[in-house]
Amino acid sequence: MTLVPFLLLIEDDDAIRTALELSLSRQGHRVATAATGEDGLKLLREQRPDLVVLDVMLPGIDGFEVCRRIRRTDQLPIILLTARSDDIDVVVGLESGADDYVVKPVQGRVLDARIRAVLRRGERESTDSATFGSLMIDRSAMTVTKNGEDLQLTPTELRLLLELSRRPGQALSRQQLLRLVWEHDYLGDSRLVDACVQRLRAKVEDVPSSPTLIRTVRGVGYRLDAPQ
Amino acid sequence: MTGAAKRAMVAGLRWTSLRLRLVVVFAAVALTAAVSASGIAYWLNREAVLTRTQDSALDSFRKEMQSHAASLPALPTQSELQDTANLMANGKTGYSVLLLGEREKGKPVAATSDSDDFTLGDVPRTLQDAVNDRQELSAGNSAPYHLYWQRVERDGKPYLVGGSRIVNGGPTGYVLKSLDKEREDLNTLAWSLGIATALALVGSALLAQAAATTVLKPVRRLGDAARRLGEGKLDTRLRVSGTDELAELARTFNKTAESLEKKVADMSAREESSRRFVADMSHELRTPLTALTAVAEVLEDEVDSLDPMIAPAVNLVVSETRRLGILVENLMEVTRFDAGTAKVVLDTVDVADQVTACIDARAWLDAVDLDAERGIMARLDPRRLDVILANLIGNALKHGGSPVRVSVRPNERDAELLIEVRDHGPGIPVEVLPHVFDRFYKASASRPKSDGSGLGLSIAMENAIAHGGTITAANSPDGDGAVFVLRLPMDASAPAGGASATGANGGGTDPDADGPQDGGESGERREGSAE
Repeated sequence: MTLVPFLLLIEDDDAIRTALELSLSRQGHRVATAATGEDGLKLLREQRPDLVVLDVMLPGIDGFEVCRRIRRTDQLPIILLTARSDDIDVVVGLESGADDYVVKPVQGRVLDARIRAVLRRGERESTDSATFGSLMIDRSAMTVTKNGEDLQLTPTELRLLLELSRRPGQALSRQQLLRLVWEHDYLGDSRLVDACVQRLRAKVEDVPSSPTLIRTVRGVGYRLDAPQ
Repeated sequence: MTGAAKRAMVAGLRWTSLRLRLVVVFAAVALTAAVSASGIAYWLNREAVLTRTQDSALDSFRKEMQSHAASLPALPTQSELQDTANLMANGKTGYSVLLLGEREKGKPVAATSDSDDFTLGDVPRTLQDAVNDRQELSAGNSAPYHLYWQRVERDGKPYLVGGSRIVNGGPTGYVLKSLDKEREDLNTLAWSLGIATALALVGSALLAQAAATTVLKPVRRLGDAARRLGEGKLDTRLRVSGTDELAELARTFNKTAESLEKKVADMSAREESSRRFVADMSHELRTPLTALTAVAEVLEDEVDSLDPMIAPAVNLVVSETRRLGILVENLMEVTRFDAGTAKVVLDTVDVADQVTACIDARAWLDAVDLDAERGIMARLDPRRLDVILANLIGNALKHGGSPVRVSVRPNERDAELLIEVRDHGPGIPVEVLPHVFDRFYKASASRPKSDGSGLGLSIAMENAIAHGGTITAANSPDGDGAVFVLRLPMDASAPAGGASATGANGGGTDPDADGPQDGGESGERREGSAE
C-alpha cells in the first residue's frame, strides 16, 4: 500500500467529478477520474489504483456492471456512489461486489472516512494463523487458503473473516460487525454485512447454500464454526 | 368480520321489513276481498234459504187452513179441533199446528198437534194481535184477516211462527216450524266460506312472498353492488335486464359508478403526475447539490484563512447548502412515502443504545434527560428510528427548551415500544395540535421559526407508520410543555405491523426471518424479493 492512497473516481457528471476530485485531493488522496465505465476499466488496468469510487448511474455500462467486471479480476475495494440509501441500488450494488456505499449528496469528509476505513481493512494486525476445517487463515501473510489453494478475498471479506475467526463459535451481531469491519457508527446498514457474508460464503463454503463455517444465528447475527 | 356480519344482519332485517310490509298489504287486500265476498254470499244465501223454507211452510199452512180448518163448524168441539190440528200437522211439512176456536160463545177451546212443544205461550203477543186484528175491507185489501209470521228463538233454536184466522168466526190457526236444519246448513256454509277466506289469506301471503322475492332480489344485488363500490371497487357494474323500474335503477347505478370511476382515475392521475414532478425535481436537484456540498466543504476548510469580509459569505453558502441538502433529502423521503416505495430495513437492536447514540451523535446529551433501560430489544429499522427520534427531540429542543425528557419503556402486553419525548416549553396551542404532523405547517408567528424543512414531524410520522406504529402529540396535563409519544411494535415484521409488512418484505434484507437457522441464503432471498 502506497503512502498516499491512489483513488479512481468514475462519475459521469462533470460538476460532481470535479468537486469530488477537488475535495478528495484536499483530503490527501491522489485521484484519477473517468467519465464512463469503459474509461474507468481502462484506467484501472493501466494505473492500478488502491480503491475505486464508482457512481451507480453511468452512461453505457452502469456502475453495477463495472463493479462485476472489476471483481472478475481484482479484489480492490469499491465504494459506490448511490442516489438513495434504501432502494434497490444498494442491494444490487452490494451483490455486485461493492464494499461500501455512500449516498449523494455526500460530504467529502464522510467519503474520506469511508475510504480510509476500507483501506485499513487490508492492513496486517497480527502474525498468527488459524484453521477451520479445510480453511487456513494466515494472519501474517493476510492470505486465506482452502484445501491448500489461495482464495481471492477482497479486503472487506478478509477483514470480516478475520473478525469472525478471532472469536470462533461466538455470535457477532450485524451492528458489532459493522463497527469492527466497516467502522460505521450506530446507523450502519446491516445489508452490508448480509451481502458480504453471502460473498464470503460463496468463496469459503463447500456448499454456499448450506453453510457449515459461517453460520447464521437467528435474531443475532453470524458466527464462525469449525466443521465437526 | 363482525362488522360485515352485523351489516348483513341489519340488511336482512331491512329486507324482512320490506318483505313484511308487502305481505301485510297483500294479506289485508285478500282479507278485505274475501270477507266482503263471503259476507255477501252468506247473506244472500241465508235470505234465499229462509225465504224458501218459510214460503213453502206458510203456503202449505194456508192450504191446510182452507181445506181443513175452514170446514170446521162455527163452534167446534175440543175433539173436532184436535182432529183437525192433527190432520193439518200430519203432512210432510214437519210443523206443529195450534188451533183456537169457541165451543160456545165465550168458551174458548184450543187444540195442538204437539201439546209438549207448541202452546199459545209460544206465540208472541204481537203476532197474536196482528192475526186477530180485523181490518177494514177496501180496494187494496180484499180480506179482513191476513196471514202473519215471525221468526223467534226458543231454547237457542230458531223457529218460524205463523198465524191466520178463518173469516166469519172460524178458528184461529198458528203454525210452528223449526228452522234448525236451515241454520245448520247456513253454519256449514259459513264454515266453508271461513275456510275459503283463510285459504285466500294464505295464498295471498305466498304470492306476496313471491312478489317480494322478485322485487327484492334486484334490490339486494343493487345493495351488494353499492357496497362494493363503497369499498373502492370502482369497476363494479350491474347486469341490466328488462325495461322495468329496477332495470332503470341498475342503469343509473352503472352510469354513476362509471363517472365515479372516471373521476377517481382522473384525480389519481393528476396526483400521480404532481407526485412524479416533485420526485423528479428533488432527484434533479441532487446532482448539483452533490457538487455544491463537496465544494462547500473545501471552502469551509479555508474559512480561517479568508478575508474577514468574505468569510461570513462562505459560511452562509456552506450552511445554506447544508440546509438545501436536508430539504431535498426530506422532499425525496416524502415522495418515497407517497409513492409507497419507502422500505423498512429491519434489524434487531437495543433501543436504549439507539436512543443514546442518536442523542450523542447530535451532541444533545447535555440537553436531554434520558430514561431508558438497556436490554429492550426491538426489531425495527434503526435508521428510521433515528430519523423519528432526531425529529421529535430536535423539535422539542427547538420549541420546548431543555431539559427534554426522553423515556423508553416497553408495553409488554401489546408487544409495543413506547418512547415519550416531553419538553417544558409553552406547549402546543390547541388549534395547532391536529396539524403538527402536517407538511410545511406553520404553527404560528409567535412560535420560533424552525430552521428545518417543515417536513420533520411529518416524516417522523410517516416513518412510524411504516413500522406499523404511530406518534401522538399532546400537551402535558400539568400544563408544562408538550408530550410526543411514539408507539412502535416490538417486532415490525410481525403481521400485526400491517403497513410495515410491505416495507419489511420489500426491504428483503432479513435472512433471519425465514428459512432454517443455518441454511439461510439471504442473498438468493433478497434477489427474489427485490424483483
